[in-house]
Amino acid sequence: MLLARIKEALSSLYEDIQETQEAPEAVKDEAAGKVETAAADAAPAAEFQTEESAAEQEEAKPEEAEEPAAEAAKAPPGPKETDYTAKGYHLDVDLPPDKVTAAAEILNNENFFLETITGVDWIDEQQLEVVYDFNHFDELCRVVIRTRTDRNNPEIPTISHIYQGANWHERETHDFFGIKFVGHPDLSPLLLPEDADFHPLLKDFKA
Amino acid sequence: MNGLLQQDVNQETFTLNLGPQHPATHGVLRVKLVMDGEYIVQAEPVLGYIHRMHEKMGENRTWVKFLPNCGRMDYLCALSYNHGYVAALERAAGIEVPERAEYLRVITVELNRISSHLLWFGAFVLDLGGFTPLLYAFDDREHILDLLESVTGSRLTYCYFRFGGVYNDIEDSFITGTREFIKRMRKRMPMYDALVTKNIILIKRLKDIGPISKDMARRYGATGPVARGSGINYDVRKNEPYSVYSEFDFDVPVYEEGDSMARYMVRMDEIEQSMRIIEQALDKLPEGEIKPKKAVKMVKPEKGDYYHAVEAARGSFGVRLVSDGKNQAYRLKLRSPTYSNLSLFDEASRGMLLPDALALMGSLDLVIPEIDR
Amino acid sequence: MGTQDIQPPIIHFANLDKILSLGRANSLWPMTFGLACCAIEMMATGASRFDLARFGAEVFRPSPRQCDVMIVAGTISKKMEPAVKTLYDQMPEPKWVIAMGNCAISGGPFVFEGQYGIVEGADKFLPVDIYIPGCPPRPEALIEGILELEEKVTGFRRWPRVEAK
Repeated sequence: MLLARIKEALSSLYEDIQETQEAPEAVKDEAAGKVETAAADAAPAAEFQTEESAAEQEEAKPEEAEEPAAEAAKAPPGPKETDYTAKGYHLDVDLPPDKVTAAAEILNNENFFLETITGVDWIDEQQLEVVYDFNHFDELCRVVIRTRTDRNNPEIPTISHIYQGANWHERETHDFFGIKFVGHPDLSPLLLPEDADFHPLLKDFKA
Repeated sequence: MNGLLQQDVNQETFTLNLGPQHPATHGVLRVKLVMDGEYIVQAEPVLGYIHRMHEKMGENRTWVKFLPNCGRMDYLCALSYNHGYVAALERAAGIEVPERAEYLRVITVELNRISSHLLWFGAFVLDLGGFTPLLYAFDDREHILDLLESVTGSRLTYCYFRFGGVYNDIEDSFITGTREFIKRMRKRMPMYDALVTKNIILIKRLKDIGPISKDMARRYGATGPVARGSGINYDVRKNEPYSVYSEFDFDVPVYEEGDSMARYMVRMDEIEQSMRIIEQALDKLPEGEIKPKKAVKMVKPEKGDYYHAVEAARGSFGVRLVSDGKNQAYRLKLRSPTYSNLSLFDEASRGMLLPDALALMGSLDLVIPEIDR
Repeated sequence: MGTQDIQPPIIHFANLDKILSLGRANSLWPMTFGLACCAIEMMATGASRFDLARFGAEVFRPSPRQCDVMIVAGTISKKMEPAVKTLYDQMPEPKWVIAMGNCAISGGPFVFEGQYGIVEGADKFLPVDIYIPGCPPRPEALIEGILELEEKVTGFRRWPRVEAK
């Protein structure tokens, strides 16, 4: 029941993704604009960011142009139901980063709770993945939201204003992978020392 | 109290540093408190003082070699962590577990849960200023440690579960010992009741202190006794039955009040429920193998990601593993329940008196190495 | 030894020193300072069954100002190191350090190539007097460590030595 309902609700997020597939040019412009506004959003929180990360951002710029097109090309068709006994979750939802907030809102309205946020470093594909696990108190229904971002300039909108518990999970993911959660109130190191400027769970990390 | 918070911003506040060495933080938690007199305006927990890189270690050693780490994350309920990890791998690699092994897992995990709750009980009352209950609780706890030591070989940081079974079979003395312990514990519980639970000082320290609403618990992803004390009927053993838990008849204690007393009562009731599970498991304990004939040394789960949750003493412990088909993890994420449970401390403690906030913190049952991992 | 920073007194009162050290050895006040798993065994040592009071070392003090033994019970992370150092500096002389468990001795199971978070042993920055191996050490081992420390302070063993058979 819940599973079917949530699947349908999440499918609605894919509607405009299908459209963008037809017109990749439009996406490119839109995404470029988005990066700029995102950077503006992040500005107040940027004080503590190291120079290094600022440099990273600049370096990343040339690659940005090809990214949205690639993303649109392999945009998934919709939420996939998975075999619970084999995988441990019921619904697998692959979304572009800008849809995560909307998905979290849908789940919040259905009274889901956030179990955890996991970062994964796909170094071969030069991408960072963020996986959100949601579960429900009354009815067993584990929903996995996953999204990928460019490894050189990882930015994902925060969901900490919807799920306050996400605050720490996002900070932890920022600690370990350097993923910037745009709009997060405070991304200073949580588990690492206060002055830490390294991201230990990246695959190319060397102590 | 809420009026206090809405006062003018130039009112005088000061910052108070609690920890990382403070007896009430149960380890090395640090909390930066902004205080207005005796009242808390803001509380910011600072973690990471015992960050031990478990997730990084998961990526650079084989699946089997990570097993001992499980006992060192949540050392009070080490077997739950053992269980979560091996169960996740068993799910991912499709390893069958003999029924007797599952029963042994349940029995030992539940014993471990009781010992964890007993230690919490002692330490919590100690936080509130009562020293004696700690000595009673440790006395009972030592009996459990003896039993578990006879099977697992260690007192605290167990590494008893293996992929596809358990390490060691139990002896008859374990069964009789466990039954005797349950008998003893049932006699001790009324004493705890009279000595502590019905103690007017304890009631005054806990009743209506640190209320956590149902919605707050959900927004922060609180699980375990913290959620159950807030009226959320969620127990992984019931909601997502794993192992052989579906074969036992037990209740999930739920209290609606959401205050520290409710969380206290949930844990005290859980001791009895755990004993019920152990008794049924001992009665039904099947004969047979306890591990695969050939020890599983190489595990190669198929490419993909897997999730498995178990109910640890403090809530839902989840393992999310990402495999690239090799003999070690590509990414191993350990979802520790207290991490989420503690994150609500800031919101819940605002406007509270400092000593009351310590009662709230104690009632969350923190194990810091589990939070920091 | 923890006393190395203090100027030695010009005049020694041999017998008085002996009496003082006897008193110190038989009333060691450890600090309530748990870092990780070993702290639970430290609690167990102080609690009912093992009862550290039998050896005069049960007065666990939460304040470093009132202690003379620091039992480093657990892993010291790099984030924690300055705090441990401060606590040690706050303790009055004479003071001793017990490294309890493998983590405090050498980093224990958390040492691996590329580790970024822990200090590999308390003796990297503290003068450790007694090492107690184990992961975690049993309460009996901690008691033995305290007896060893007594011996180090007074120069003789108060309790019979337990021989391994």
